[in-house]
Amino acid sequence: MIAAPAVEAAGANSSGGGSNRLSTRSRLALAVQSLLVRLAGPITLTGIGLAMRHLYGFTFYDLREIRRRFKAELKANPGPVLIAANHLTFVDSPILTWGLAPTWWYALHSAKMPWNTPERRNFASSFLARVVVYLFKCLPITRGGDRKAVTLVLDKLAHLLKKGHLVLMFPEGRRSRTTCIDRTHAAHGVGRLVKAVPGTRVLCVYLRGDHQHEYSLLPVKGETFHLSTSWLEPATEKKGLRGSVDITDQILTRLEAMEAAYFDDRE
Amino acid sequence: MSKEQIFEKVVAVLKRYTKNEDALNGVSVSTNILEDLKVNSARLVDVILDFEDVFNIEIADEDADGVNTVGDALQLIEARIG
Repeated sequence: MIAAPAVEAAGANSSGGGSNRLSTRSRLALAVQSLLVRLAGPITLTGIGLAMRHLYGFTFYDLREIRRRFKAELKANPGPVLIAANHLTFVDSPILTWGLAPTWWYALHSAKMPWNTPERRNFASSFLARVVVYLFKCLPITRGGDRKAVTLVLDKLAHLLKKGHLVLMFPEGRRSRTTCIDRTHAAHGVGRLVKAVPGTRVLCVYLRGDHQHEYSLLPVKGETFHLSTSWLEPATEKKGLRGSVDITDQILTRLEAMEAAYFDDRE
Repeated sequence: MSKEQIFEKVVAVLKRYTKNEDALNGVSVSTNILEDLKVNSARLVDVILDFEDVFNIEIADEDADGVNTVGDALQLIEARIG
């Protein structure tokens, strides 16, 4: 738990995004997507599991313990959960999703498979890509794009958080060029989302493969991942945009601490 | 504070973040901050925070969403200064 001088709990100021602003059409679109994701789950989730385990040969340290803790903590603390992770490769999202729980569990608990916001230019440039990301619970976003479009995605995510869905975001805003937590392109929408949904808890996730020594698109085949988690309840006394920035900073600070612990353990 | 003074201060803030200094020479209310001045989208937040500091105002998240051009910034700041 972060020792923040909590005056205004995150969420007390609900400005800057929320499901109350979401149109009926957008709510319906999300409901349809959720249903189709659930129906396609047995195929898509099996595909993720097979690809991770057999095609790429990925494994985790202490996988059983990671998954036991994740499920126990979600059960013990119901409420909005935002997953905030460090960002090293294009496939961090499916890797950490698979690491946190087995694919069969997501098939049974569809809302707990996190929603993602991949960069549209990387992941939704063709029709086929758009179908795939749609079925993998993605709401593509254009970094630096039209502000109204970005706001609509944040409003959708706020709506989903309130409905009990998990949302995954990368507060660094892009893959780290240094392989360490990089604040230069921080995505303050993360803080804004936390602020917009009262009671949101942040599950900070630090994911790193043994061979992740430089900037890359994909992990090496046969990679073994370290995955650590830390819960955070951000709070801020700052208002408006400055409050969103403050919350994002708190999350990045926690991720930096987790990164330091990772490297300390390896020495 | 006059409109001209606000404009000058806005341009001074933008100067710190722009990658296209030539565009600053012909800057007008219709100049797009991201597309014309090539301000990095991640830096737009810093630009807005600088506006808060320079003009001693507070800007909400959703108001920041509406800032695409120099004119948008001027309008927002004028409204906040009152």
